[in-house]
This record gives sequence, C-alpha cells and structure tokens, in this order.
Amino acid sequence: MDSFSTGSSGSGSPQISTDEFMDQMKVQLAQAYAQEFLETVRGKCFEKCITKPGSSLSGSESSCISRCVDRYIEATGIVGRALLNSR
Amino acid sequence: MDSSALNSPDLQRFLNQEKEKAMVNEMVAKLTSVCWDKCITSTPGNKFSSSESACLSNCAQRFMDMTMIIMKRVQSMQ
Repeated sequence: MDSFSTGSSGSGSPQISTDEFMDQMKVQLAQAYAQEFLETVRGKCFEKCITKPGSSLSGSESSCISRCVDRYIEATGIVGRALLNSR
Repeated sequence: MDSSALNSPDLQRFLNQEKEKAMVNEMVAKLTSVCWDKCITSTPGNKFSSSESACLSNCAQRFMDMTMIIMKRVQSMQ
C-alpha cells in the first residue's frame, strides 16, 4: 500500500496510508468550504439585517439574521441547480 | 515523503475529482453571491417570492450564457 511520511524524512517516521491521507484531505476540504460559506453568509446578512448597529442585537435583527441564513442556503441550492441544468 | 506514493492512480483520481469539485464549488459560491446581490433587494423573508427565486435561477443561467459569449468574442479577436 502506498504511504506518506508525516514527519521529517528518515527511518522511523510515522507513515500513513493513501486512504488515510485522502480521508484527512476530505475532512480538511469540507472544513475549508464550510468556513468560506460561513464568512460569505455573515457578510451578506450583516449587510441586509444590521442597518444601524446598536448597543445590542434587537429581536428583529436576530430574526432577520435567521431568515437571511435560511434564504442564503436556499439561494445556493437554486443557483446550484440552475447551473446543473444549463450544462 | 515517499515520492512513489504520488504516482498512485487512486491518489491521482482523488486529486482530480477534488480539483473539479473545488472549481464547481467556487463557481456556485461566486454566482450565488452575485445573484443574491442582484435579486434579493429587500429584507429576507420566510421564503422567497416567486419573482425572487425566478430571478436567482435566471441570473445563474444568464451569467453562464454571458461567459460563453465573452469567450467566443475574445477568441474571435485573436
């Protein structure tokens, strides 16, 4: 089975298999995608919902943010499906 | 790193798939961002109006149409 060294080269360094490497990469990629999505949604919803920052988040601002997150996720689905259909 | 491991066909296939997935992900993310700005002009509600969801869908498709037109035009100029 193929293997990768996780430490510096030389005998005795721990080896991981290709499968383990791919699994770790998949986890890291998923985390990176989630992080990017979070930052985008945060920017969009701050823009739409927090028009005049006060000393705390009002109830209407909080519910706006909830709705905004749901809508943005929905929008991502709509756009994704439109792209799939247009190919 | 054991360089012969890089030649693993499993790994190559995996990397190519992930590269493709990353490109698709980026396209969807960018399009959603652009089309959200264009189509969702008011405060988000409990659901999209039919015009908002039509706008999002149209926006994505027109963006792709436009990409083709631009590519062809630039190619024809070379």
